[in-house]
Amino acid sequence: MVATAQAPVPPATGALAIELADVTKTYAGKVQALRGVEMHVRRGEIFGLLGPNGAGKSTLVKIMTTIVRATTARGTILGAPVGHRPTLARVGYLPEHHRFPQYLTGRQCVEFFGAMNLLRRAARRARTEEMLEVVGMRAWADRRVGTYSKGMQQRTGLAAALVNDPELVILDEPTDGVDPVGRSEIRDLLLRMRDEGRTVFLNSHLLGEVELVCDRVAIMLKGRVEVQGTLAELTQASRRWRVAFEGAPPASIAGFGRALPLPGGLRHAVELADGELARVQALIDLLRAEGCAIVGVSETRESLEELFLRLVRDVDGRAAAVGAANINNTMREAR
Amino acid sequence: MRIDHAPRSGLAFADLSVQTWAMLVAAYRELNARRLFWVALALNVLVILVIAAVGIDEEGISVLGYDLQIPGITSKLFPPADFYKLMIENLGVGIWLAWLSTILALLSTSSMFPDLASGGVDTMLSKPIGRARLFLTTFACGLLFSTLQVLSFSLMAFLLLGIRAGAWEPGVFVAVPLVAALFSYLFCVQAVVGFITRSAVASVIVTLLFWILVFVIDLGESITLFQRTASRIEREMVQARMDTMKGDAGRESAQKLLTEADVRLERWALANDIALGIKTFLPKTSETAQLTRRALAISAGIGQPADGEQEMRVDENGILQRTRANRRRVEAEVRKELDKRTVTWVVGSSLAFEAIVLAVGLVYFRRRDY
Repeated sequence: MVATAQAPVPPATGALAIELADVTKTYAGKVQALRGVEMHVRRGEIFGLLGPNGAGKSTLVKIMTTIVRATTARGTILGAPVGHRPTLARVGYLPEHHRFPQYLTGRQCVEFFGAMNLLRRAARRARTEEMLEVVGMRAWADRRVGTYSKGMQQRTGLAAALVNDPELVILDEPTDGVDPVGRSEIRDLLLRMRDEGRTVFLNSHLLGEVELVCDRVAIMLKGRVEVQGTLAELTQASRRWRVAFEGAPPASIAGFGRALPLPGGLRHAVELADGELARVQALIDLLRAEGCAIVGVSETRESLEELFLRLVRDVDGRAAAVGAANINNTMREAR
Repeated sequence: MRIDHAPRSGLAFADLSVQTWAMLVAAYRELNARRLFWVALALNVLVILVIAAVGIDEEGISVLGYDLQIPGITSKLFPPADFYKLMIENLGVGIWLAWLSTILALLSTSSMFPDLASGGVDTMLSKPIGRARLFLTTFACGLLFSTLQVLSFSLMAFLLLGIRAGAWEPGVFVAVPLVAALFSYLFCVQAVVGFITRSAVASVIVTLLFWILVFVIDLGESITLFQRTASRIEREMVQARMDTMKGDAGRESAQKLLTEADVRLERWALANDIALGIKTFLPKTSETAQLTRRALAISAGIGQPADGEQEMRVDENGILQRTRANRRRVEAEVRKELDKRTVTWVVGSSLAFEAIVLAVGLVYFRRRDY
């Protein structure tokens, strides 16, 4: 079941790049990786998928790209049913643990994936040059992929994922192994792709990165999408008013809540729930009447990291959340 | 630049050929990056140079212009064209291409399917290519090593025959599909084992063991066929003397030998039928390579001077003595027997085996999650 802060109505199907419902996957051995995923990704947005290890993120991405077959799945990718192979020509995908042909040069590698995406020679060559330029790999394009650093391989992978001019770009940990400057460049690239009208689906462990670029996020736990929406929507319930004051907390404010000591002196703060603006005013009046100096009134809400950690702890505890383990890896090892 | 992505309901042939060509080019680049490919190519040249270094004329055989004192082997017995064809068939195809080059090809391509299974499959399956086509195209790419090697060898052999013997023999290029087919019988096993185990070493070991098994069964069939043919000839020899034997003792000895020959023939025929029955379901690597002999139109009699009619000996008491069939005559008969086996049976039944193995691999490939 999908919970959203304000339960927004999903947009019309035509406005959606990804529309998934009832996506389940049970691996051999009865391991349930996905337990009914529902997800809506709008066209032209950057969508972040978060979740602890074993939550089912990779399985979901692989179902979207036909690498794993769903046990059940309803919905569409770019308007075509999930698993419709020709639609993949309009999708760019960068897997997390990709291994590109080591004997090809960077240029040959990007061209190869252009051909696999059905690009004809002229378009393929032009797009390859363009993408190598975009990811900053043109200078090393004639060296073999096997000689590249992890960061260079990742950039080449990005070029390969974008060579077919995709409408939907699915990136699995795109900044993995990339230095801080490279990460910043990749973030800029994601924003540029969105500005060009592409939909970007970002699967990442890096909460800060997701928070910086994503328009909407979904958090998966134990094979389900626990919440999805904009960051503002998701943290709406955690919105608070914080009244900070200087001086000893008077006993008369007990009805407003507990005064929490602030670091660095005699300052304290009282937090009130969102929608209690009248009580905020009353508290300020009371504190001033008691001789306390108001030093600040601010709106606070959870960060994405706080929200993520709270959800992980809420759903049967952290241990249970990761208990499904890294299912793909486990299944691979078992085989 | 923006690319127009028209909505598609399926993939056109032109689209498929773009992918197939790209995979073949990538496979060639992979081979090109491997030292073993160039080593095998150099050995190809060496084998041709060795054959070219041998000459034959009315005086005898020479190597690099030095005469070898081998009596009887002259161009009168072996016309130069047949001599070089025999060398190409026996040394070039029979030993080099069918054995050594095939082993090099198996080693060189051993990591293709383990690599696909363990790393590259994610990226490839996320492209608009069906699983069956991805599997079969990767398999076809694996045949490239062997095909390029045999193609270069055949070209050099063609030039050798033309320049050294004045025989411009296009039949030499029949070796290309035959050796490629031979390699494919083994490569299908290697591909499926490699994909399932994800181990190049395991796939090579299993394939070589399988090849040894095929060789042993083929050897068993050859031995039983030889004995069956020898028993048949012996029986014919006894039968031929039956009416000419005089006296009771002579006729009885002939009858006894005939009965013994019948028993032997029956026993070897049964053994041969069993061996041939097993062999029918397995790839016929040796016989496939030997098909080049037919294409090169090498006479079955070359190198094996035909003996005159052989008769059973009769001792001084008029008793018919068992006389074993002449080895050369048996070999000639066996060769005739083998030549009766059609190309359809030799290659067709081997390809049927290959199709079954690939079908098993394909089912596994298609059903698996990655």
